[in-house]
Amino acid sequence: MVQVPLTDIRGGRGPEAVPRRHRMGRKKELFWAVVFLLPAGLAIVSMRIAPALGAFWTSLHKGFPGGLKDPAFSGFENYVALFTSPAFGETVLRTVLFNVILNPVQILIALMLAVLMTRRLHLRGLWRILLFVPATIPIVGSSIVWGIAMRPDGPLNAILDALGLGRQPFLTSSTHALASIMLVATWVGVGYWMLFLISGIEAIPDEYYEAARLDRAGPIRTFFHITLPMLKRPLLFVLVADTVANFVLFVPIQMLTGGGPQNSTTMLMFDAYRTSYTYSDKNLGAAQVIVLTLIMLIFVAAQFALLREDEKGGRNG
Amino acid sequence: MADPVPASVLGAPRRAPRWARRSPLATAIAVLVCMVFVLPVLWLLVGSLRPADEIFSSLSPLSWRILVPSQVTFENFAGLLLGPFGRALVVSLLVCLISVAVGTVLCALAAYAVAVLRFPGRGIVFAVIVVGFMIPFEAIAIPLSQLFTGWGLTNTIIGLVLPGIGNGLAVFNLRQHFLSIPASYREAAMIDGASEPRIFGSIYWPLGGGALVNSALLIFLGQWGSFLWPLLVVSDRSLQVAPVALSQAFGEHTSNFGQHFAGAVILSLIPAVLMFIMQRSFGGLSIASGEK
Amino acid sequence: MQRRTIVSLAAAAAVTALVTGCSSSSSSQSGGSDWKIPDKDPKATIQVLGHQAEDSGILDVIAAFEKAHPSIKVDYEGVPFDQLNTILDARIGNKDGNPDVYWADQPRIPALSSRGFTEPLTAPFAEAVAPLDKTTVESSSFDGELWAVPIANSTQLLYYNKTLLEKAGLPFPDADPKKRMTWEELAADARKAVDAGAKYGILFGQPNRYYQLEPLAVSLGGSVGAGGEGNLTPEIADKGWKQAMTWYGSIFADGLSPQGLNGEQTSNEFLAGNVAYFVQGNWLVPALSEGTMEWGVAAHPAFDGGEDVTPTGSWSLAMSPFSDEKEAAAIFMKWMSIDGGGGYAVNLPAPELPVSAEGKKLYFERDIFSSPSGKDAAAIIDYETQNTAVPRVQTVGYVEFEEIIGRAYSDIANGADPQTALDSASKELDTAWSKYR
Repeated sequence: MVQVPLTDIRGGRGPEAVPRRHRMGRKKELFWAVVFLLPAGLAIVSMRIAPALGAFWTSLHKGFPGGLKDPAFSGFENYVALFTSPAFGETVLRTVLFNVILNPVQILIALMLAVLMTRRLHLRGLWRILLFVPATIPIVGSSIVWGIAMRPDGPLNAILDALGLGRQPFLTSSTHALASIMLVATWVGVGYWMLFLISGIEAIPDEYYEAARLDRAGPIRTFFHITLPMLKRPLLFVLVADTVANFVLFVPIQMLTGGGPQNSTTMLMFDAYRTSYTYSDKNLGAAQVIVLTLIMLIFVAAQFALLREDEKGGRNG
Repeated sequence: MADPVPASVLGAPRRAPRWARRSPLATAIAVLVCMVFVLPVLWLLVGSLRPADEIFSSLSPLSWRILVPSQVTFENFAGLLLGPFGRALVVSLLVCLISVAVGTVLCALAAYAVAVLRFPGRGIVFAVIVVGFMIPFEAIAIPLSQLFTGWGLTNTIIGLVLPGIGNGLAVFNLRQHFLSIPASYREAAMIDGASEPRIFGSIYWPLGGGALVNSALLIFLGQWGSFLWPLLVVSDRSLQVAPVALSQAFGEHTSNFGQHFAGAVILSLIPAVLMFIMQRSFGGLSIASGEK
Repeated sequence: MQRRTIVSLAAAAAVTALVTGCSSSSSSQSGGSDWKIPDKDPKATIQVLGHQAEDSGILDVIAAFEKAHPSIKVDYEGVPFDQLNTILDARIGNKDGNPDVYWADQPRIPALSSRGFTEPLTAPFAEAVAPLDKTTVESSSFDGELWAVPIANSTQLLYYNKTLLEKAGLPFPDADPKKRMTWEELAADARKAVDAGAKYGILFGQPNRYYQLEPLAVSLGGSVGAGGEGNLTPEIADKGWKQAMTWYGSIFADGLSPQGLNGEQTSNEFLAGNVAYFVQGNWLVPALSEGTMEWGVAAHPAFDGGEDVTPTGSWSLAMSPFSDEKEAAAIFMKWMSIDGGGGYAVNLPAPELPVSAEGKKLYFERDIFSSPSGKDAAAIIDYETQNTAVPRVQTVGYVEFEEIIGRAYSDIANGADPQTALDSASKELDTAWSKYR
């Protein structure tokens, strides 16, 4: 049994455990907080938050496509139209399903890769970069490559054929297309998240592993009792970041399936992009994006709750 | 004033190579995984180096020919680099490096504020930052570009840099990292009378290590791959960025796959090489034993 | 300006005012424009937004214009053509003076004009566009008003790979447009070609696109796609459509045409020697004349007992209503479209099909048409543009139409039942168009 003092596993005890601060200190902290937050905060508020509020305001109007003619205030009519449309309901369901399945899978793969890439290997730096390269290729280029690879007569099917596994209608069948998009998204993303988890793993102090070894804890035990708990913070980050990335994903869908076959890959961001940019209906598109952001918020809030740091720093067992 | 961080923390590199202990089995697995992953990239690379029609003529029936060009030609790369794309590459690099230099500092400062400092409304500020990066950029791109037009920031490097420096994800990443730095270091420094900027500069920033590199990467990749924004705010040909210039390889009736692949290779190589260099230089720092 | 010209312009303006005065709210400007093309060039700089890449030779065209009109400078910006709409939304939606002139896809012109993105051009241009091909001018007009000036046209031909046909023992199709093949014959011959080793029997240049596939339905008597008031009632599920789409789906199901190929890859596949019969536009001829493949060309097929119809249409130039250099912009547009056979088509190194008889004469003199197959192509192009071209449906809701019908085509190619796909597309289109009615 591992006998490392549990409080130490939590890393720093956090600001909560720190002794009292003076009132004057509080004022100074507030001052410095404002100063430190101002530049980045100003950038985020002026170039993300404010326009988003503008988008919400736009969604409360109805206008002629193109945006030149003045739109008329319509309250929540756009939202009502969306929620009474069966196609939109299916899109939302599809998006939620996509993320519920894909996010944990991608993070799991990234974690396994990170563990592999933190073992003692020859040329470890090279392998890490190779796994990261897919994330650096412009998404349009990656989509083109996978589009050709997944053609019914393309190389992927030829390989499957040679292995005796049978050809798959990757992008031409409504049962396979969404999974194929998941495959492309995973290939592009996991190397990227792996890097963050590698940093997290390498930040775990050696002593904990030494102590575990002294207690003769096997690799599995060590992983679940030491590595994983200490990875909570980086894990929260990659989970949230991955969620956002998957929710706003649309270029592969646009290039590989156009939302089809038979709407099987029409996801919320793709639909919103099409409404706003192809159909030039800014108002309805804005409403769709607001819905998308709200759903994302729910997912992210759940993840924050799940990986919340306990104040008391105790673990069962 | 005494430096509050023990030298042993900053000085000790992690995991000094112990050659006898490297595992061949793990290496073999790593190689296998990498090969499967990298196969499409290899095809991309080969496609950029082969004669134009070979990309499609070698697709089927499947043979080793798909990955081995009949002749290696650099005309795709030459055509790109000597044309508008080459110039656009310089613009892209400029924009990204400025964004990283400025953005990393600003985001680290903000992360320090929400991770370390205590002030009323801290939770709300952090929540606002998180919500900020959840808003899809396409949703706000056009109104924002119209705002920038009004501010006279079109066709300027600043106009390209500004949206990239307030990267909420980078702040989030650094905040997570800063939370793991033991508070005792700061306590010790405060007892010594250090001010917040000094604590930030001499404790948290040096201990940023891998997290700083990763946040810099976030900012870099965000700007490097941006397509819609430069399209909207830059109309001057000489100021356009690389991804936009590359998209012209696909015209209305002609599609130069070889050239597009060459462009993708170049656009991918630069961050990959940068990351490789950064990992070697900064990846080793950690927050190991410093707590007494 | 000569008196005769003034009189005829005034007459044109009067007619225009009469026509547009009664037009519904779907056109945004009423009464036409209040400026005209000046005799003497003003000194100005205009911004032009197009989709031609910087290194496509478009700068040669610009240089030629600036030589002919030295006091007008042109700032050209090239953007990917699938992003053109986005940029226009941002700039013109912002009431920006940039661009002054922009490339407008002809079938989108009704939508652009109804959104208020185009300056009415009937008054300044009515007389000037007289020598141009009728279909191109019609495609640039809507609701009785001219909204853009055409600078290019297109048509489709049936190219074939001689080597693959010889291998299958198939005769070369006759190049006489009056003796064109039927789609049914084509499918049968394509079957033989595939059996003899061709990778693909039939390939369409732009699979699953309305531009490419409209003639299939129309040939069988189907509607162009919409009817009723303002062309806002979907008509994509009639007998002609159903029959045409059944045939279309069958060439994929029978393995004659590959699924999963998009328009960017098709020409490359043909040029790589993988395709027996390839339906593609006139723009393929230069690439073919540079390559080593043995190729021939025949006229675009039609259905047995059906009408001979071909796709057509290309780009026009439209003017932003917020331009502050309208006269200079108009001079540029006139030069590009009309002067000397069309400055654009004549000066662009890569051949574009011009919109006037004068321009076409120069076009057909190009080297690319000098080979025997090239001469066949020239004759076919000339015939089709004058006799069989059917423009795309003119409707304010064109963008939604093209997108929805494109998805239906794609579903059918991937195996969906044509009737079901067309019916559900019809319903979706009806909903999308409700905001225009």
